[in-house]
Amino acid sequence: MRVANKAIYDAVKYNLGSISEELNKANEIATTGKRINNLSDDPVGLTQSLNIRSTLESIEQMGRNISYGNSWLTASESALTRVEDILSDTKALCVQMASGTTGADQRSSAAGTVQNMLDEIVSLGNTDVTGNYIFAGSKTDTIPFDQDGTYNGDNNAFAIKISKNSTVEVGSDGEEVFGNIFNTLSDLKTALETNDLSGIQDAMGYLDGHFEDISAKISDIGSKMNRMEIKDKIYQDLNFSNTERLSKIEDADIAEAIMNLSAAELTYQAALASSSKVMTLLTLVDYLK
Amino acid sequence: MSSIGMILNIATTALNAQQYGMGVTAQNIANVNTEGYSRQNPVLVAKQPLMYGGLLLGRGVDTEKVSRSSDQFIENKLMQEKSNMSSSSEMEKYMQVLEGFFNENSGTSISTMVSDFWNRWYDISNNPSGASERISLYEQSVLLSEQFNALGTDLIQIDTDLTGAVTSGIETINKITHEIAQVNGQIVSMEANNVANDLRDKRNTLVSELNEYLDVQAFEQSDGSLTIVAARGCTLVHGNSDYDLEMGGTNGDRVRWQNSSGSYVDITNYLTNGKLGGWLDMRDEIIAKNRLDLDALAKEIIWSVNQQHSQGVGLEGFSSVTGSYAVSDSGEELGTIDSGLDFYDKVSDGTFNLWVYDSNGAVVGGSATSITIDADPGGTTLTSLRNDIDAAANISTSITTDGKLKIDADSGYTFAFSDDTSNVLAAVGINAFFNGASAGGIEINDTIRLNKDFIAAAQVGSGGTMASGDNNNALAITDLQSTSMSISQWNCDRINGNIQGSIISTIEDYYHSMVGAIGIVSASVSRDRSFGEMMVNELSTIRDSISAVSLDEEMTNLIEFQHAYAAAAKLIGVADEMLNTLLELK
Repeated sequence: MRVANKAIYDAVKYNLGSISEELNKANEIATTGKRINNLSDDPVGLTQSLNIRSTLESIEQMGRNISYGNSWLTASESALTRVEDILSDTKALCVQMASGTTGADQRSSAAGTVQNMLDEIVSLGNTDVTGNYIFAGSKTDTIPFDQDGTYNGDNNAFAIKISKNSTVEVGSDGEEVFGNIFNTLSDLKTALETNDLSGIQDAMGYLDGHFEDISAKISDIGSKMNRMEIKDKIYQDLNFSNTERLSKIEDADIAEAIMNLSAAELTYQAALASSSKVMTLLTLVDYLK
Repeated sequence: MSSIGMILNIATTALNAQQYGMGVTAQNIANVNTEGYSRQNPVLVAKQPLMYGGLLLGRGVDTEKVSRSSDQFIENKLMQEKSNMSSSSEMEKYMQVLEGFFNENSGTSISTMVSDFWNRWYDISNNPSGASERISLYEQSVLLSEQFNALGTDLIQIDTDLTGAVTSGIETINKITHEIAQVNGQIVSMEANNVANDLRDKRNTLVSELNEYLDVQAFEQSDGSLTIVAARGCTLVHGNSDYDLEMGGTNGDRVRWQNSSGSYVDITNYLTNGKLGGWLDMRDEIIAKNRLDLDALAKEIIWSVNQQHSQGVGLEGFSSVTGSYAVSDSGEELGTIDSGLDFYDKVSDGTFNLWVYDSNGAVVGGSATSITIDADPGGTTLTSLRNDIDAAANISTSITTDGKLKIDADSGYTFAFSDDTSNVLAAVGINAFFNGASAGGIEINDTIRLNKDFIAAAQVGSGGTMASGDNNNALAITDLQSTSMSISQWNCDRINGNIQGSIISTIEDYYHSMVGAIGIVSASVSRDRSFGEMMVNELSTIRDSISAVSLDEEMTNLIEFQHAYAAAAKLIGVADEMLNTLLELK
């Protein structure tokens, strides 16, 4: 085929153009460390990576929800464990006070101890996490228990989401948790003051019931914390596996990227060398005198 | 017997012919880099011989014509490919801009912002009474809205830019067709005697330039003039007359051609190749679809959030609230398009509860006022809704001059809503979270912008109770993140128009597939461009092998002519000597 001079220059332009485009692409991948730098580089991969990123954002949020919920459950657990202790102390006190050898004076002075215990349980019932009362149902900004044990909260326990479609009650309906503990203690106090032995014995019976209720509540909270822990573990695994998937989709294999870059560089250099040869090639003009 | 004079004559013709040949060679060398130039060759013929002394004797050489090495088929094919390539190369440029708008590799992408928006609702559900969580949700919602606004504006800007490109493209086209018509005239008058090689090259170059803008068909007439016809048989050039294209139509964005009777033909949708085709495909198909889809997405976010938000209550009741969606006619049924409501189609038969509280927080009358909505013809209008709400004790209701519902409580009283099964509250924008119904229009509802306590994380309980720690509505809003909804999806085609369909998808998935689709289109446009470039390159090589100048060849020709010239000169010298010899005879 006839080769016109213009054809030589046009070919050089076209070839250098397309090779430098490849070089640029290879360089982009090597310098960013990412396979996908523009939407068009891999639209399907990009859609997947967007979905994974959303998932990761959700996982992170669920992690925050769980740690927030845990702070409520931990506070509930320690408050109720303390209540349990107080109840068993009260029970011990009752046993002592119900004994025939105990006198009216001793009973009357024990009434003060019971009052202190009552005060402490009220204060435990008013436990808060960062200003939110955990035993007030959903009225988290209202002090749930008055000094005499009157309940001011509501009956809807505060719940949070630990996955897209499951919620966990981390707060409590204080009325349900504390039941008649306050009445029992206040009756006990009166019984001690009035040296009413049968009143003391009644209280002992009630205290057993309360103790069981609180124990049950503590183990309920324990199982919730366990559930949260498992969920958290699952999220950590998911986070790991999704991050890995994201990296597989988005990140360039650096060794491969560098190799591709070197290959593109080599091609480019070869093209430059051969182009400069072709363009400076002597023509017949050089030989005519 | 030949005479010496005859030898001199023959030598003279030879000198002339070789000199002419060198002139042609010089012209070829001079045009070695000229785009569209076809190399020329002198065609030499022996002159008609004469009978001389009973024998035929030649009379020398003549340059019959200068021919042009050109293959019109290849030229046409090349023009066509250039036309295809310009279309995809223009589209590629704009696609790169579009890709930039939807760049997801940054923290400011809509995808990240939507995720963060739901996450801020989770934060509120964790701590419904917390002021910082509310402010943080508000800030995130502002960011999200602004990103939608910016994207909406950017897409409108590309649309405007494309129309601008088409307008200036048409000016160039008109200039080119005018020149072609002039060249046509020159060719016709010149070719009465000769072949107008250089003018034909010039015309070819002009037609090739024209093809870069739009696809045309060219027919050569018997007089050598070229008739050029564009889409739908619109003649752009005939003989030495040219017919202009112009921008027109209601928005001045349609390409029109005026026919001989003065009426306009709209050819916009029939321009498929060249830069014009690329720009119009981009504007009327790709940008149009993305604008409509982005609006549909924004509309769905606005509606789904508003619908759930309007079921809830904030940390306090309202003392006064104004709707954000206006009606154009307060006498029209709210469930019909005639009402002018953006979300008229969402209004359905149902009821909602209006709770009124006195200054002590007690429910006035002990229970809620239930308001019934009838979405059917003859049903609830904004006026009748106003009257129904107004009938509640300690509440006065009005319709603002711009067609919005305004509810006020008597001094010291407040009110709240619950259990809206009719969607009417969200449709008129009472207790809503967002304003607007498009990507460009989305913004935060004024009531919430002024007081974050009105972010409705809670729901009014049975008996009208309100609790600061209630997070039921916030939890319901977080449910929307994973809820699949029916979202409009458009198909824009220049011939068949914009067709609305819909897909069932979550908000995030919808956006992700939208971004993915842009990438797919962009990749395919780039492939087309790259393929077009390769085709143009191949055809150019073929064209150049036929038509372009090779310096080696021209040098050879030059030497050929030079030697022939020298020989002819020698001939004159010999004839001169012969004459001298004769003259010296004494």
